[in-house]
Amino acid sequence: MSEVIVITSGKGGVGKTTTTANVGTGLAKMDQKVVLIDTDIGLRNLDVVMGLENRIVYNLVDVVEGNCRIKQALIKDKRYPNLYLLPSAQTRDKTAVTPEQMVKLIAELREEFDYILLDSPAGIEQGFKNAIAAADRALIVTTPEVSAIRDADRIIGLLEANEIKRSDLIVNRIRMDMVESGNMMSMDDVVEILAIDLIGAIPDDEVIVISTNQGEPCVGDDSMAGQAYMNICHRVMGEEVPFLDLKIKSSFLGKLKKLFK
Amino acid sequence: MKEQTVVIKSNKYGITLFLKKDIPFQELLENIAEKFKTSSGFFKNAQMALAFEGRSLSREEQMEVIRTIQDNTALEILCVLEQDALKESYMKKALEERQHERSSNSGRFYKGTLRSGQVLESETSIIILGDVNPGATVVSKGNVVILGALKGTVHAGAAGNEYAFVAALNMSPMQVRISDSIARGADGPVNLKGNLTGPMIAYTEDGRIYMEPITKEVINDIRI
Repeated sequence: MSEVIVITSGKGGVGKTTTTANVGTGLAKMDQKVVLIDTDIGLRNLDVVMGLENRIVYNLVDVVEGNCRIKQALIKDKRYPNLYLLPSAQTRDKTAVTPEQMVKLIAELREEFDYILLDSPAGIEQGFKNAIAAADRALIVTTPEVSAIRDADRIIGLLEANEIKRSDLIVNRIRMDMVESGNMMSMDDVVEILAIDLIGAIPDDEVIVISTNQGEPCVGDDSMAGQAYMNICHRVMGEEVPFLDLKIKSSFLGKLKKLFK
Repeated sequence: MKEQTVVIKSNKYGITLFLKKDIPFQELLENIAEKFKTSSGFFKNAQMALAFEGRSLSREEQMEVIRTIQDNTALEILCVLEQDALKESYMKKALEERQHERSSNSGRFYKGTLRSGQVLESETSIIILGDVNPGATVVSKGNVVILGALKGTVHAGAAGNEYAFVAALNMSPMQVRISDSIARGADGPVNLKGNLTGPMIAYTEDGRIYMEPITKEVINDIRI
């Protein structure tokens, strides 16, 4: 049985594409057959984050318009043979695809794949509507900032109106030092405002920047962010995993300093 | 041609029924039923006042006529007027009084969190089991009670009822409007944890909106 998951946020720059790449790769690591679809037509970048940009021949719009078969447009990942990417078109815009066409396309993909992940564009217009049209559930990505939370709230309302049965929350870019000093909302604060289930909390980690730039998802490595993403994958598959302690362990020197304060 | 035993005349607020005097009441009822059945599409589900002319009816007969009308249309007759008070303005006033009474004395429940961009409108008072988040709007012709946090915008007494009130378990609204008055939340740094105010109530006095913790004294002053 396949599951279609849309990754969305409303606000841009909070980590939708990074999350799609990492959760998708993590699920593939666990031997699931996964396809990632970039629905951000005109501003594609999931292929860049996955390090697969140079392999693109056909794209989502080509498939929908019948210029090629789905199989031709699917790019096989260079690390995991059961992970595929359906890239977006760069030279067209969001109106090139309709929600009905997305439903039809995904119905075909459901027969082949265990997980279909849709990377939604920012905003609530046509591109967003395309992305959620065929989704079974949603992962809402937000950062602990008032503006991102406001947009996430709007998105959750729209998803409810579109009868997406399940929405889970990912709080991205948390800085525990700022939370402790009271300058940033904690995961609990965000969950209380948005009133949906938390499925993961990702610390603000420079590893993400490095891995994104290199086109190598960091999921499953020994960094904090990599572990946090792997935990999300387990939870997506229905396993119960305790939440990571995101507190940065202070070094021996740091402890000494504290002692003499 | 068949003689007209029933004639309907209507204005925006009410209907006047001209009834023939000297035919049996049962026959009259049948004619009324027929008449309203054919015009039910025109009236739809309006709320109206009703007046009779041409024939004096007993209380029971009036009730039967009203029942016949409501069985055959989606119309709702809110009140019956005496024969000598057929002026449109009077009908309007009587109707509005009833509507007002109804909007603040009856209510509905809504369960769930209202999120940014969502608007909840109600002809009657409303009780919300959940939060009203920033960017969400509640508009009610009656009162608004929120069993949760009010962080968005609420307009109570939207049709002009200045006795309407807004109550919430946690009152940190963007804006509260009651009838024609508007009050906005305090400026200043955003509290990341959300303001925990405790149960509060907002009401108007002399066109100003006051917000106070819910106490016996405040509740004693509330008019419904």
